[in-house]
Amino acid sequence: MLRSPEWHMLIVWYFFLGGIAGGAYFTAAIADNFGGKKDRDVIRIGYFLSLLLIALCGILLILDLGVPTRFLNMMGFFKFWNPMSIGAWMLGVFGMFAFVSSALSLSGSDSMARFRRIWSLIGTVTGFFLASYTGVLLSNSAQPFWSDARVMGALFLASGASTGMAAISLLMYLSGEAAGEGFEKVKRADRFAMIFELLVLALFLALLGSAAAPLTTGHLAPLFWVGLVIVGLVVPLVLDLVGAGLKVPAVVPAVLVLIGGFIMRYVIVMANA
Amino acid sequence: MTTNLIDIQNSDVIMATSNFAENHPVGFQWVMKAKERGAKFIHVDPRFTRTSAVADIHVPLRSGTNIAFFGGLMNYAIQNNLYFRDYVVSFTNASFLIDPGFKTATDGGGLFTGLEQTGKGGSDPHVAQTYNKSTWKYQVDGEGNPKRDNSLRDPNCVFQLLKRQYGRYTPEMVERVCGIPKAKFVEVAKLYCGTSGPEKTGSITYALNLTQHTNGVQNIRALCMLQLLLGNIGRPGGGVVALRGHANVQGATDLELLYHELPGYMAMPLRDQHPDLKIYLEKETPKGGFWVNKPKFFISLLKAFYGDAATKENEFGYQWLPKRASADAYSHQHMFVDMYKGKIRGFLADGQNPAVGGPNAKLARAAMQRLDWMVVKDIFITETAEVWKAPGINPKDVKTEVFFLPAAPSAEKDGSLTNTMRLIQWHEKAVNPPGDVTSDAEFFTALAKRLQKMYANSKKERDKGFLAASFQYGSNPKEPDMELVLKEVNGFATEEIKDKDGKVVYKKGQALNTFVHMTDDGKTAGGCWIYTGVTVEGPDGKLINKANSRKPADDKDYLAHGWAFAWPANRRILYNRASADLAGKPWSEKKKLIWWDPAADGATPDKKGKWVGLDVPDFNAFLAPDAKNGDKPFIMRADLVGAFFGPLADGPFPEHYEPMESPTRNLLSKQQNNPVVKIWQVPDKKNELAPFGSKDYPYVITTYRLTEHHLSGVMSRYLPMLAELHYSHFAEISHELAKEIGINNGERITVMTPRGKIHTAAMVTHRLKPFKIDGKIVHQIGVPWHWGWKGVDALPGSKGDITNDLSATVADPTVYIQETKAFMCNVKKGEV
Amino acid sequence: MARTLAMFTDTSLCIGCRACQVACKQWNELPLEQPEWTGSYQNHAHFTDKTYRLVRFIEKPKENGELAWLLMSDVCKHCAQAGCLEACPTGAIYRTEYGTVNINQDVCNGCRYCVTSCPFGVVAFNHDTGTANKCTFCNDRIHNNLGPACAKTCPTDSIQFGYRDELAAKAEKRVAKLKEMGHKDAQLYGADTNGPLGGLNAFFLLLDRPSTYNLPEKPLLPQRNVLADSLLSVGSALLVGVGAVMAFRERGGKGGGHA
Repeated sequence: MLRSPEWHMLIVWYFFLGGIAGGAYFTAAIADNFGGKKDRDVIRIGYFLSLLLIALCGILLILDLGVPTRFLNMMGFFKFWNPMSIGAWMLGVFGMFAFVSSALSLSGSDSMARFRRIWSLIGTVTGFFLASYTGVLLSNSAQPFWSDARVMGALFLASGASTGMAAISLLMYLSGEAAGEGFEKVKRADRFAMIFELLVLALFLALLGSAAAPLTTGHLAPLFWVGLVIVGLVVPLVLDLVGAGLKVPAVVPAVLVLIGGFIMRYVIVMANA
Repeated sequence: MTTNLIDIQNSDVIMATSNFAENHPVGFQWVMKAKERGAKFIHVDPRFTRTSAVADIHVPLRSGTNIAFFGGLMNYAIQNNLYFRDYVVSFTNASFLIDPGFKTATDGGGLFTGLEQTGKGGSDPHVAQTYNKSTWKYQVDGEGNPKRDNSLRDPNCVFQLLKRQYGRYTPEMVERVCGIPKAKFVEVAKLYCGTSGPEKTGSITYALNLTQHTNGVQNIRALCMLQLLLGNIGRPGGGVVALRGHANVQGATDLELLYHELPGYMAMPLRDQHPDLKIYLEKETPKGGFWVNKPKFFISLLKAFYGDAATKENEFGYQWLPKRASADAYSHQHMFVDMYKGKIRGFLADGQNPAVGGPNAKLARAAMQRLDWMVVKDIFITETAEVWKAPGINPKDVKTEVFFLPAAPSAEKDGSLTNTMRLIQWHEKAVNPPGDVTSDAEFFTALAKRLQKMYANSKKERDKGFLAASFQYGSNPKEPDMELVLKEVNGFATEEIKDKDGKVVYKKGQALNTFVHMTDDGKTAGGCWIYTGVTVEGPDGKLINKANSRKPADDKDYLAHGWAFAWPANRRILYNRASADLAGKPWSEKKKLIWWDPAADGATPDKKGKWVGLDVPDFNAFLAPDAKNGDKPFIMRADLVGAFFGPLADGPFPEHYEPMESPTRNLLSKQQNNPVVKIWQVPDKKNELAPFGSKDYPYVITTYRLTEHHLSGVMSRYLPMLAELHYSHFAEISHELAKEIGINNGERITVMTPRGKIHTAAMVTHRLKPFKIDGKIVHQIGVPWHWGWKGVDALPGSKGDITNDLSATVADPTVYIQETKAFMCNVKKGEV
Repeated sequence: MARTLAMFTDTSLCIGCRACQVACKQWNELPLEQPEWTGSYQNHAHFTDKTYRLVRFIEKPKENGELAWLLMSDVCKHCAQAGCLEACPTGAIYRTEYGTVNINQDVCNGCRYCVTSCPFGVVAFNHDTGTANKCTFCNDRIHNNLGPACAKTCPTDSIQFGYRDELAAKAEKRVAKLKEMGHKDAQLYGADTNGPLGGLNAFFLLLDRPSTYNLPEKPLLPQRNVLADSLLSVGSALLVGVGAVMAFRERGGKGGGHA
């Protein structure tokens, strides 16, 4: 008999927002390095979003501790093979990258921009890490549902990417930037992330086999199938591909992806709650 | 208990008839030791319990059919020639001839010769009947010695009567009566009867599973007889393992906190039969056996009571002793019936919780609610202390004035506990009791001193003895020195005692070394002769408290004689003369215990020969095997032999009768119940019995205890770490019965009898199975009885209904114990 | 490091008296907790933050129609390779010089990663203290030359305490004897230091398969795959990254992006 860590909504939110932070950061950094001038909004929104969310993430994590005042105990200790230990450290490192990138994105100076691009390119590693380590953390527990398929990290990364990009799209849409080329590029990147996520999810379920029961047949199954697979992945993909003809506002797929991303963290965490 | 728990490890087969592992887990370690060695372990129990879990064979037996089972085993041993013939011929009364007028129950339709009606008779089926025992006696020769036939062939010899008595108890009959499949019974009979003979031994354990029946005493006799038949008494790995119900019940019995005996198992005098000391001693002292010394023990007891005031001239104060008006009037059950009828007005409950713990507890509570006053002394406020505000009772309707006095548990006082193997173990105070809490000794000596003050000016003859008694032990005015109490119990010289050469043997006041030194002239005093030797004077003149010695067993002394003190005389296995053959040699090398060493120094320098070995001989150490009575181990009996034929109130042999409430007619005879059973007629329908065949009460119920709780729960329900081990009060029910009444595991149910009903949770389990009795399915349920309305407030499950509200006020005719192991009930879904 | 200590729980000697469970609560001053209806005598259904020793009662009808009631006193296994210890991000969980695994209550911050990383579900979260709890192997007692309270109180020596090597040798003999006596399923669980998790410092003699006792047949260290998982994550990061690069890059196809 195994035991639940009693990780609930704070952790669901942390996993969700941490994924977005990581995804948004590396999306912005890639846009910064490989995109053009028209991607400036993507870059700025991405950096600031990741900075805001990483601060929130830190608060969520501290609040979830049994003894929040002892959060620094993790900083006095380092285990390179322990996802939670590196995760705690990387949260700080990522925050530093997000802060510097955000700050530099306000500057119009070219030299600053050059430095920012190099800085952010290095920072993408921390962005990828933040989006995926929570999956590795789960898959290195004793819970068969979390650990039997080895692709939880990959799945979280894909979801982090898709939700991070969706969050950027949503913010662009809300700030009236949806008409630009940048918006389209984000959507294109997101399309790729979603397809990738769908594939990893299929692989995840196949590898888990019967251990996937909490998702596929348990009380969370309706939420998983309808909320994540259909609403969160299939529908936005379909809309994204044929959306123009349906006259659905361009932001709808992004919102659905975010909902799907939240549901994914929710069902995976709560299946062992 | 004839043996010692440590010695169980030497058994080849152990048959527990009680729930040994659950109720005596510490003693049970020796069963596990025996099992590790390869011994077989049989558990006979209606329920599959934690004891069954570690047994090689579990034998399910319908509650109330123990005699049918033991009788079946005896019959099996006799029919298949498996009894230990040499032992039986030499050491028991099997060869003794009985009056030809005596007939067994086999020939008397379930009755022995001599049943007479003493009551009015008529329509009441439970009229008082008694046995006229005039034919229940040995044939004697001209010198008054019993006639014997060592070939065991005489039709009037005890062995032939035994064979006749149990001839009906066939394996088929055991299956029909007890519900034990024949194949299983034969398997068990073969295995257990295999312990007969020189090379093997077996032990049988029992507890309240045998005693709490209307034929409780005969249940135990049947067990003892089986052990005698197989030669299993007095030998290593043999014995009757009586497991007492709680820590000091053996001590309470030895010191006789009982109505019918005085300390050391001597009868409490009867008003009419024992008018003076001379007559008492004449009537109560047997002609043979060690009890011929009773006058020494009894007079020493009177000296311990009354001190210098007890003199030869005033019969050592015999007339100051209270006398019983009748032999059968003061048991627990008598007391509560009389209380209910208003005959008893005041009551002191010291460490007892009859509102929960006794039979027909509803009657007990109603009785206590009619008292003028009651004093409860306990370690928690018990249900008894709160009987005036019991659930459903308006306190205004109860006029009983209740005083509660807090008591000190064992860790807060010095004293001794005598455990199940007669082992007197000392315990020292670890902490002082808090506040006003007093030890029992402090309370009772203070009470006695106050009473003495109140009666100081009394001129009445009857008060003189009490006023003469001393309740001062040591110099502390309040707390008695318990080692001085122990010394008084042990016995001491009241004046200087010299031997015939004029040498001082005992100084005045010196503790006696052995009860053999007690005298009937007032020179010795002793509060309980069997305890003598527990404390002796050392070379420095200081008392050595042997109850406090702690030398564990070792290779030389497996019985651990250096660990505390076992009465009598630190003997660990009683009747151990029986471990050697007639010539005094061990029956076998493997099973040796004591033996006659002809080369050892004798009693006097000119003599040789002594009993030696691994235990203190329970025998005259210098009585040679070939001397008169040198071959008779059962020294406490007048005839010095183990008794197959042993007259009790309900027969010289145990005979199976159904419990007072039973699911079947008696298949062994037309006599349904014990013919001399004691049933109380209580007003207001407070003691109704379910008639035989009642459809309203179709299921057998047995009540019992759990490891996690203690008795009525006073020492466990108030302690969170114990109380939380069980979710709540529950009843164990088979899957078959649960299906029949449509209940699931954990559902609330109502269990009811004609006396009362309780609400509880159903624990549906494979560990109970229906019985097949005479071809019909009979369901049995089990209900533990630890719960009452008090407990830990934060743990609602520590409180529950009182199981004893279900049981009846009926009794065994010899000791008046209740029948709480087998009666009838109904079970209904939900709380009705 | 001192010689490794161990507890050997021989379930063939267990009578389910639960003295170990009570002794544990008493010595460790564990507070009251509400029992739960488990359908049998067992309470609780599993270890809790206030129950470190737990006697399991397992009813199992046998093929021959008889019943087996398996009794087992369960406890933290003090694994040689301990999932909880590996999971702990604060260093609160440590290995003592005797080889036992302990949680420093003054360091634990209640992240609960250890709770979910124990292959036996032993470690529990205490909501009152906000920290993770489990059997301490009576750390205070063993540092004062006293055995654990449970082993000390066990009336039938079902729980034995001593040096690991000696106990394991004893256990081997005992299991051989039991097999000889007809207990064909008797087996040791965790006695072998070359076995799963490097052996358990609280190991068991079982009379049936481990799964009958609610134990994993082959317990695995949760952290055994951390490298593989990380590499898979890196791989997917590269894929996602390449996808994003393709989407954002300016050179090549204008606006199309479907390179």
